[in-house]
Amino acid sequence: MAVSPLAPQSFQSRASEEVADREITEQMNDEVRHKYIKAKKLGEGTYAVVYLGHIRTDPTSFVAIKKIKVNTEYRDGLSMDAIREVKYLQELSHPNVIALHDVFSSKDQNLNLVLEYLPRGDLEMLIKDSDIHYGAADVKAWMGMLTRGIWFCHENFVLHRDIKPNNLLIASDGEVKLADFGLARSFADPYSNMTHQVITRWYRPPELLYGARQYSGAVDIWSVGMVFAELLLRVPFVAGNSDLDQITKICEAFGTPTEENWPGVSKLPNFIPADNNHTVPTQGREFFLRQFPTAGSVGADLLMSMCSLDPRKRSTAYQALQHSWWTAEPRPTNKEYLPRKSGGTRKMGDDLTRRGGELDDQFKNAARQLDFGSMKG
Amino acid sequence: MIEDDFYRTSSQFRLWSFTEESLRTVRQKTNSLASDRVRIALRRAREARQSANSSAAGTPNPNGSDADSKAGEEKDIECLTSEEEQDLVRYYCEQIIQLGESYKPPMPSIVRATAIQYLRRFYLTNSPMTYHPKTIMPCALFIATKTDNYYMSLRQFADGVPGDTTAEDIIAPEFLVMQSLRFTFDVRHPFRGLEGGIMELNAISQGLGEPAPHLPNQSAEDLRRAILSLPPPLNTPSPPSISDRLARAHHNTREILKSAAQMTDAYFLYTPSQIWLSALSLADAPLAQFYLDTKLPNPTESEHPLAQLRAKLLQTLSSCATLLQSYKPLGSDPEQKKAMRRIGKKLYHCQNPEKVNLAGQKRIPAAAAAAIASAAGNPSDTPTPDSEMERLAKKRKLEAEQQKAGNDIFGGDLVMERTRDRQA
Repeated sequence: MAVSPLAPQSFQSRASEEVADREITEQMNDEVRHKYIKAKKLGEGTYAVVYLGHIRTDPTSFVAIKKIKVNTEYRDGLSMDAIREVKYLQELSHPNVIALHDVFSSKDQNLNLVLEYLPRGDLEMLIKDSDIHYGAADVKAWMGMLTRGIWFCHENFVLHRDIKPNNLLIASDGEVKLADFGLARSFADPYSNMTHQVITRWYRPPELLYGARQYSGAVDIWSVGMVFAELLLRVPFVAGNSDLDQITKICEAFGTPTEENWPGVSKLPNFIPADNNHTVPTQGREFFLRQFPTAGSVGADLLMSMCSLDPRKRSTAYQALQHSWWTAEPRPTNKEYLPRKSGGTRKMGDDLTRRGGELDDQFKNAARQLDFGSMKG
Repeated sequence: MIEDDFYRTSSQFRLWSFTEESLRTVRQKTNSLASDRVRIALRRAREARQSANSSAAGTPNPNGSDADSKAGEEKDIECLTSEEEQDLVRYYCEQIIQLGESYKPPMPSIVRATAIQYLRRFYLTNSPMTYHPKTIMPCALFIATKTDNYYMSLRQFADGVPGDTTAEDIIAPEFLVMQSLRFTFDVRHPFRGLEGGIMELNAISQGLGEPAPHLPNQSAEDLRRAILSLPPPLNTPSPPSISDRLARAHHNTREILKSAAQMTDAYFLYTPSQIWLSALSLADAPLAQFYLDTKLPNPTESEHPLAQLRAKLLQTLSSCATLLQSYKPLGSDPEQKKAMRRIGKKLYHCQNPEKVNLAGQKRIPAAAAAAIASAAGNPSDTPTPDSEMERLAKKRKLEAEQQKAGNDIFGGDLVMERTRDRQA
């Protein structure tokens, strides 16, 4: 390499030299960064800014670039949400999990995640829009994609811990993608503790509300069951306005947890013994069929298996996928023909800028932060 | 999908697995690039000094007249070899174990193992001549606490780091380290596989074994009888019972995984299951052999695909075992300690002066940086070369003085401090 003698006035030559002087890892980062062009801003939240971008050499192949904001409140380096999201998305490659194409840093040392572009919004949008009509075959298609996605996470020993309709994004071909891994973690080793402060309240299973520190993929399955119910009812099925209210509503809907129907439940840290005058018997198949007639009896059976109070009796993702509902009539709608809605691009911008565990703006009072102190075993 | 398919999608396989040859090439490239940079940077620093001196003295410094001395001085800059770099990194990997041990309660082995792998991955594309491992090591461990769910605050973490290392010093190279890790944080360790294998062997010994897919005719009772009649492990007294034997094998294998597997290139060259099986074979060869036999038949004709698979597997396991056996802890080897001092001394003279402060650069958000720059009336957020040069010169001078004052070669070496503490 030619080196010009450094005189004080040769500022310019030194600057260009520095470009050539990039370290190997900086060069690799530059290469990745150079692959993409940031076009317009899609959304901005407290946690991130999302841009629409495309591959430099192909302006028709879109990507979403999520630039993680530096949290000035958090002095301990890159935030846990960002670390979790990057860690798990780097490992998970599946049609029903949002793809992380690349990660690069921009010159101001901000982290940029190059994500799959999912222009058709999320399931929450479809559920809430009364102009959109959908039926059992559509629900089956969406649920199939969601269940396969979560099966793949669990097969890779990853708990998602924030499944809810607005974390289920929709690709241009109609494929549902599990997104927002800001609360994800890998399965803990036996006997070690995890935090129970995860999963947005309406989708949170009773064991976490009771403060369980050791749990499994069953927590995600409960959330999947809640999404299933919400898709059928078009409103959240158990929507508590506090953690306590959430437990009350779950008991009213599914039955009161007791040592008989859930051995060990009374030993959970935050267990509240039921008032003997107000116990609700565990709901059976008739209840689910009555509540969710559109699911049909086979579908109601699958839903029931996902909503078992005792996490040990809840189906696993693998068991859920083997259920006969998938092959029963009606067949799931082909993804190309699923109902769609416009305005999804903006929604993706909103969805990707949320921090894990946050509800949308209208539920802001319910938003929580992770309690890091309680995470340590 | 079988387990291998899952493993092949992991970042550990995609980005951090090598052949011996490709590993050597990567390190060689990193070393030679860093050596070039060091020589250039040191020359640049010297020229800056000279030109400052000469302009101060008012004498012009015609180009070419000092060409001979230049070449002479350049030859003096002796850079680390790739092997020396690896020895140095291994030394700091051992320091991670010690640092993790010093917390109350001690950090889990898995967090320390992740940090070690981060450090090893970092130094595949970076040289210790560019970034000194003493600044990168604590940061790698702190990142591992975050990625492996062992959360502690930076303040808490910094309090446990001996010497005058501040929280800011620790977090400063975080982005640099993460970028060098190519933003992949998941490390697939052999520990969980070992736990599973030991559970299986325990079940077999209790008559609860299950037949493997290739061997449907195995019965739980056959398996139990076979494990009970295994010859004892080499050079050890016969264990009193099978559960003692399994407990001992478990413990000894874990120790190998916590030490030799971390300090050698095992993770770069082998898969987690290859590593724990090799370690088990070192701890209790007949047991490891038995475990394999329960999974993989041993057809007599050598042309059989399963026989070929088996031969290939055994060869891989044996070369991995050889690698694991090659590890000698620094503490137990005076020769290595001596070599380490020499390398440390050598590094002092070939540390890239232009990167000394890079690790100390704060992670400044763009907005804040712009605000600082505009407040200073300077449109650029890079320091001017003049002030930077002065700063570096000062820093080196300071370091040289410390060196003279008899501070040890690594400038605050944890092990040394610790032994001093113990002796005190």
